[in-house]
Amino acid sequence: MAEKKRLKDLTVWQKAYIPEIAKGLALTLKTMFKPKFTMEYPEVKFLPPSSYRGRPVLVEEAGGEERCVACGLCARVCPALAIEVQAAETEREKERYPERFEINMLRCIFCGFCEEVCPEEAIVMSKDYEMVFNNREDAIYGKDKLLVSVSQLQDRINFLRSHK
Amino acid sequence: MPKFTLDGNEIEFKPGETIIEAAKKVGVDIPHFCWHPSLSVSGNCRVCLVEIEKMPKLAIACSTTASEGMVVHSQSEKTLSARNAVMEFLLINHPLDCPICDEAGECKLQDYAYQHSKGESRFTEEKVHKDKRVPLGPNVMFDGERCISCSRCIRFADEITKTGELTFVQRGDRVTIVTFPGKEFDNAYSLNVTDICPVGALTNRDFRFKARVWDMSATKTICSGCARGCNIEVWVRNNEILRLTPSQNDAVNSFWMCDYGRLETFKQVHSNERINGVYMKREGQDVKVSWDEAYANAASELKHLNKDQIAVIASASSTCEDNFMLAKFAKSVLSTKHVDYIPHVVPGSGDDLLIREDKSPNAFGTELAGVHPAAGGLNRDAILDGVKKGTIKALIVVDEDLAAMSPEMETALAKLDVLIAVSTHHNRTTALANIIFPSATYAEKNGTWVNFQGRIQRIRPAVTTLEADRTLDNLAQSRLDKFGTEYDRWGRSVKLDARPVWKIFAGLSTAFGNKMKYTTAEDVLIDMGKSIDAFKKLDYEKIGEQGVQLELSAKVKA
Amino acid sequence: MLIDFILIPLVKILIIVVLMLLTVSYSVYFERKISAWAQNRIGPNRVGPAGIFQPFADVFKLLFKEDIVPKVANKPLHTLAPILALFVAFTTYAVIPIGPPVEIFGKMINLAVVDVNSGVLLVLALTSLGVYAITFSGWSSGSKYSLLGGVRSSAQMISYEISMGFSVAGVLIFAESLRPSDIISSQSGWMWNAVLQPIGFLTFLTASFAETNRLPFDLPEAEPELVGGYHTEYSSMKFAGFFLAEYANMIIASAMIVMLYLGGWQVPYIETLGLSAGLQASLQIAAFFVKIGALLFFFIWVRWSIPRFRYDQLMDLGWKVMFPLSLLNLVWAAILAMIMN
Ligand code: SF4
Ligand code: SF4
Ligand code: SF4
Ligand code: SF4
Repeated sequence: MAEKKRLKDLTVWQKAYIPEIAKGLALTLKTMFKPKFTMEYPEVKFLPPSSYRGRPVLVEEAGGEERCVACGLCARVCPALAIEVQAAETEREKERYPERFEINMLRCIFCGFCEEVCPEEAIVMSKDYEMVFNNREDAIYGKDKLLVSVSQLQDRINFLRSHK
Repeated sequence: MPKFTLDGNEIEFKPGETIIEAAKKVGVDIPHFCWHPSLSVSGNCRVCLVEIEKMPKLAIACSTTASEGMVVHSQSEKTLSARNAVMEFLLINHPLDCPICDEAGECKLQDYAYQHSKGESRFTEEKVHKDKRVPLGPNVMFDGERCISCSRCIRFADEITKTGELTFVQRGDRVTIVTFPGKEFDNAYSLNVTDICPVGALTNRDFRFKARVWDMSATKTICSGCARGCNIEVWVRNNEILRLTPSQNDAVNSFWMCDYGRLETFKQVHSNERINGVYMKREGQDVKVSWDEAYANAASELKHLNKDQIAVIASASSTCEDNFMLAKFAKSVLSTKHVDYIPHVVPGSGDDLLIREDKSPNAFGTELAGVHPAAGGLNRDAILDGVKKGTIKALIVVDEDLAAMSPEMETALAKLDVLIAVSTHHNRTTALANIIFPSATYAEKNGTWVNFQGRIQRIRPAVTTLEADRTLDNLAQSRLDKFGTEYDRWGRSVKLDARPVWKIFAGLSTAFGNKMKYTTAEDVLIDMGKSIDAFKKLDYEKIGEQGVQLELSAKVKA
Repeated sequence: MLIDFILIPLVKILIIVVLMLLTVSYSVYFERKISAWAQNRIGPNRVGPAGIFQPFADVFKLLFKEDIVPKVANKPLHTLAPILALFVAFTTYAVIPIGPPVEIFGKMINLAVVDVNSGVLLVLALTSLGVYAITFSGWSSGSKYSLLGGVRSSAQMISYEISMGFSVAGVLIFAESLRPSDIISSQSGWMWNAVLQPIGFLTFLTASFAETNRLPFDLPEAEPELVGGYHTEYSSMKFAGFFLAEYANMIIASAMIVMLYLGGWQVPYIETLGLSAGLQASLQIAAFFVKIGALLFFFIWVRWSIPRFRYDQLMDLGWKVMFPLSLLNLVWAAILAMIMN
């Protein structure tokens, strides 16, 4: 099946085409009676494996603070220019934090570059693939929507560490 | 000239020059931290070690003077391994907090680490911890851990400002920078150390964490703080100026600029008081009108006045082009003789490094461009007197808050028949004006300024107004500017409806029926060259990045 | 008189149109279902049980869509094209008998809207008129994709009409008539034309695929190269018009094949069972629909199994294979007819 054939390599039988058509038809006919693989979405939900790249989220530490230090590398590497970070100073030990962190979900292409570049393991790809918005403004997710507690993201973080 | 060999190429040098200087002249950058062209040689960072044939050991390029026939290798195996070793030492105690460090992106340590480091440290012990976030003065923040002890900042304070506030304390890996007891690092030039610090140890407290260097665009232009005209770069993100840094011009400011210029001159560009759109007074209220309507109105009000009752006050902050156009309009369209500007000299405020007593960036250029009373005309004091006495009935004033001078002046201005204010900001004078034309600031227009030495230098727009376009008008663009759309929050920057002064006067002139055929500021300059000797045969290309010293006749000089 | 000439045809027309529309909608539904099955999927199952109301949902959706006409379009022609397509598709159906003549309330009623003596020709003529619909839409849209689609389809239809015509000629030799009911009755018992002239059957079948623009011959709308082909610039109900016409054409083609080659409504040897006249007629009508259904399934099945031809292959096939084969079939039919007589 895999090898490529030129016209001159074909047998007369194959050139006649009709038997080949019959073979093809037989194959699809057989398939019609095979079990189906469709997942009926709203009722049955796809639970992605930890290698799945859903929407990027910010890791929220147990104390309720974000890990992100607003270094802006994710914004720089983002090929779709989806991320905007505005840094500011805090009294915390890590002097810098994102005063504003926005991802435009209409721009994001779920490439995961932001996750890969982040020096703080502060932005990771979640398993969330359900994003709905009715206008362009709503598609810009701020910190309120982006922060997800670290416990919910442990799966992905472990996966990332095991593939370093 | 004597010659020596660098990496197989013969290069010339002046006797007494060091290897690093000679190499720099031919475009070879030998890595260095502590060496700075305008500071004394300290030779402590050791990263500029080079191999010199017939020398027993490697030598530092910053303090070894070149000599005839010397053979220097800056890329040999020995040199590179020495460099790697130096980098490894420097990084032993370095915190590597680039993600939170403002210097990241323009950090020499980062750059050299990319080029000359292994990418891994063999040092597993605990790093030395020092104080982070130490304010050395009102403007400068110090991070002890990031400091690589190059002593540039100390030498700057000792040699350039000669204030000597800074010093090393402790020894070995504990060495750190402090100010002398009871002293603050608060001299007028303190922020320059944030530029020369090769790492992120010294940061600008005003700019800290505002933006990443790679998110901003940099536009070369001139500082508007005083008549020195320091060359600077304006850093813009989202159409907003975030910081100014000096850029090198040996004839004007070397590598430096003062803290006042750096911190105080750009914020007014984005102040809430900026005028957005043309306003006309109707029944005591400022009403927004179109440009054409305002031009026509101004023309009709000025037309039926006696030309001796009209006076024009120019601004020494406007460009030469602006003022040339203003003078041309006043003298040939309005035919008034009363044209002058108001100087802003603060006696005793200057020093012998950069700061000048004259606080206007273009007083010299204003005069050269023809802003002075015509024969028999009133000068500035006489004009102001005339306003008070009521002999002047109409006044056009550019970017000067005359009403703030005295209450007496304010009432006099209110009594004028026609007061036309061309202004960047709302102030007490614009509050009294019949017509307010919004003018563009120095960061929003093209033009030239002439500094106190008679050097003509270019200002370039870094911020767009409504009539300009970042792409079409060739403004510097950051990545976001290039790819943003109106649907991105960062693509929707504030744009004011303001025009350069020369365009406003060209518009007024057209309303008077005298069409002026200039499309760009450069056209104005070229036309100026035809009538004013000082500007003869100048264009923007000739002025270039570093400016040109004007050839001034003896008369002008006096 | 009134009853014979107005009422009965009107009732017939009504029945046919309703039947037609239902079949068209459900062939769309089955197209989606069968394609899903062939790809291990479930297919539409949201609207109504097992998704059976999906066709109505589709129609409503299309009805409520905005009707977009390109600025540079030739507006009258742009509107005319889908109407023409639908008109042609539905009119053809008038001459196809769905069963033997039956007696209802003492009247002999012919189970075709009209039984004209040149029925086959009428069908051929009308279907070739269909090419105008496509050419018009291609030309009037003012879009390069549509134009290319339109040009392709006219070339394709003209090429395949020739082999189609020759294949039909073979059938006519046996039936000695152009009247559909005669053609059907000439194939009594197992004397189906498909059996007598297998080559003709094959060429006609293939040509029908080409005439209906169905895969593997759907070059006029080849989406990888032509976006949507001739209907790229259509939306809303106008698009639905083309869409329905395609399926209506498919049904016509199936009906033609059944009529010309598969014995029409005839069931071999049904007379020997000695059933009552009514029951026999019903069975025959049912047989007609079963045959059409099977052919429709075949159309859809082929679409989801066989990839599209390249345009030069299509033309090669049409002129260098189908045409000679149909000629061959004509000779064969002539010889056969001579022997049998
Ligand atoms: S790369 Fe990480 S730490 Fe840096 S701004 Fe993005 S999320 Fe924050
Ligand atoms: S996943 Fe890719 S596109 Fe999306 S925000 Fe991250 S870097 Fe940008
Ligand atoms: S000084 Fe340079 S290397 Fe050190 S943390 Fe800052 S950017 Fe990184
Ligand atoms: S603070 Fe900066 S300039 Fe001063 S010694 Fe340290 S590294 Fe050098």
